[in-house]
Amino acid sequence: MADTSSSTVELDGTADLASVMRDGRRTINYDPPHLNPVPSRQYYFYLMLPAIIILACITIYPFFWLIYMSLHKVDIGGAGDVWNDFKNWTRLTRDSKFQDGWWLLLKYSAMCMFMEVGLGVLLAVILNNSRAEKILVTIFLMPMMMAPVIAGLVWYYLYNGTFGWYHWLLESAGILGETSILGGTSTAMIGIVIVDVWQWTPLITLITLAGLKRVPRDQLEANMVDGAGPVRNFFQISLPNLYPFLLIAILLRFMDNFRFIDAILVLTGGGPANSTKILPTYLFDVSFQFFKLGRGAAIALTLLVVTIILGLILVRVFDSPASKTGQTQAGN
Amino acid sequence: MASVKLSNVWKMYGQTEAVRDLNLTCADGEFLCVLGPSGCGKSSTLRMLAGLEHISAGDIYFGDKRVNDLPPKDRDIAMVFENYALYPHKTVYENIANSLRLRRMDKALIDQKVKKAAAMLEIEPLLDRRPAELSGGQKQRTAIGRAIVREPQLFLFDEPIAHLDAKLRAHMRGELKIMQRDLGTTMIYVTHDQLEALSMADHVAVMHEGVLQQFGTPHEIYSQPVNEWVAGFIGEPPMNFVDCEMVEEGGSLCLTHPHFTQVLTEAQAAIVRAKDPAGQRQVRLGVRPDEIAVLAEALDEGIKARVLVTEPLGGDMLVDLALGDSKLLAKTKPDFAGQRGDECSLTFDRNRWHVFDRASGLAYF
Repeated sequence: MADTSSSTVELDGTADLASVMRDGRRTINYDPPHLNPVPSRQYYFYLMLPAIIILACITIYPFFWLIYMSLHKVDIGGAGDVWNDFKNWTRLTRDSKFQDGWWLLLKYSAMCMFMEVGLGVLLAVILNNSRAEKILVTIFLMPMMMAPVIAGLVWYYLYNGTFGWYHWLLESAGILGETSILGGTSTAMIGIVIVDVWQWTPLITLITLAGLKRVPRDQLEANMVDGAGPVRNFFQISLPNLYPFLLIAILLRFMDNFRFIDAILVLTGGGPANSTKILPTYLFDVSFQFFKLGRGAAIALTLLVVTIILGLILVRVFDSPASKTGQTQAGN
Repeated sequence: MASVKLSNVWKMYGQTEAVRDLNLTCADGEFLCVLGPSGCGKSSTLRMLAGLEHISAGDIYFGDKRVNDLPPKDRDIAMVFENYALYPHKTVYENIANSLRLRRMDKALIDQKVKKAAAMLEIEPLLDRRPAELSGGQKQRTAIGRAIVREPQLFLFDEPIAHLDAKLRAHMRGELKIMQRDLGTTMIYVTHDQLEALSMADHVAVMHEGVLQQFGTPHEIYSQPVNEWVAGFIGEPPMNFVDCEMVEEGGSLCLTHPHFTQVLTEAQAAIVRAKDPAGQRQVRLGVRPDEIAVLAEALDEGIKARVLVTEPLGGDMLVDLALGDSKLLAKTKPDFAGQRGDECSLTFDRNRWHVFDRASGLAYF
């Protein structure tokens, strides 16, 4: 033993340090005498600084200003803001329109999401197997290119009780009575959901289609050889591989549903009888119709917090170990 | 278990012909290797056997049954893919059990079969891991486990060990052969590595540019190549080729080259005369590096050549030689003393060399 270690020491030229033979191999059990310095990263920070400053000005400052407003009675006439002992917040607990707004918003986005994801994935699968994929994608993308206000106006005319084509169609079929689609408290919500689905399903389709292209073909083939038909193949192989893509699509749509109210304002303005007054529309009314900026700020903050929490939950759900390993595997 | 027969099979991708008029048979329980360089149509052949690719022309039979129109799931085959194609979101256990679950087999029976396959491949401790947590060799074992667990009538292996490191690959060659012999299942194995084909297969089908070049036992493929391409493709390091004239000289046939004249054996001369009675012939001599004996000194008898460089390989030594304008590679013992620029003398092993027609490339012997 002493013999072998002395011969390896010569090899190193470090006579005072011992290397040891173990399992027939030479091993080293000492640390290097000194480490070379790691290059400093400060340089990168300076590169990012301008971006950080701009970002701070346009997002962080307004965020704190929002918190400030939510704690004050804000006067737009210039009389100065007055601290009002959390009144903006305490009033929300007694505000039935605020609570209804939340309920309607959740109902609205849940309906949109289910229809958009279901339809979007189905369309993507059909398109992926279609020869006319390119031209069909172009056609399907058209609604998405439209400004939401214009989409709202288009559908406003289609739904119109006197000359709307859809109204006429449904009335002729005997499904609809005298009231127009947007005029009935039970049908108005469905009306605005359909507009959202019409405009934004293509986005889900597009993202899912990109995901489908990246589903490893050999996995699909291996599963076919294992004995799966096309439907099982989709649910067993394609869908798990699509999770990261669906996460992005759902996250985008879900945040959009919480902020895009252009079409709703054009179509119903929250009516009839507040049946489509989802929270963002109510927020719009409070802040920019009644100019209660303090209360509006409080409502906006609740919206922000819930958006963040739901976003985190979504990421957690989709970021399960299964979909995670799926991603690393695809990267190989 | 089943025999496999490909009858006049073609595969076309648009204008490209990947497989041309392929006829192959693989007996029940046999290990057949399809060997060829990349793009030779071997993978297309395998994918047609699996049912993953439409058969452009011709028929494939498993036993007596024509399977052209059967989807993969109804062919009772198992396939191992080149990059394993494991399901990343499933554990090793679930990966192996997948095909049994798809057939709605009883849970206890599945468990028993998966455990048995895992034991055979020595991957029992890995059953709860996901593919991302496995090494290359472990992934490969899982992929094989997925294939053997179902006891199919035919195994299709698509370069399953190509991505393993050299040492593991050598080890797996032996293991795969043992496994196939133990199970007795018909196996069609695609590879570009001649070592795999020669060491494992009962029969080897050598393909080039979509065309079957030679079908035979590994020994036949190596020692009796039917044409120049097969001769040059099989063997590592590759065969040396030297252009010669073949002339009648005093009742025997001789190969003449500016630097040497060699006499064919009687048997070889008889073969040549029978095949082609014409007098003078343009031929190409093929000699494998280990069929050339090299002596470091220049003797009067023997062929004189110059050493270009020597490549010691540990147990062997490769010698690059210049014979006039042509280069030769010879394999000799590491005690070879020749240095760069030295004259040396060669002897060819007359019983093991090959002569090809220079125009057609067909082998005389």
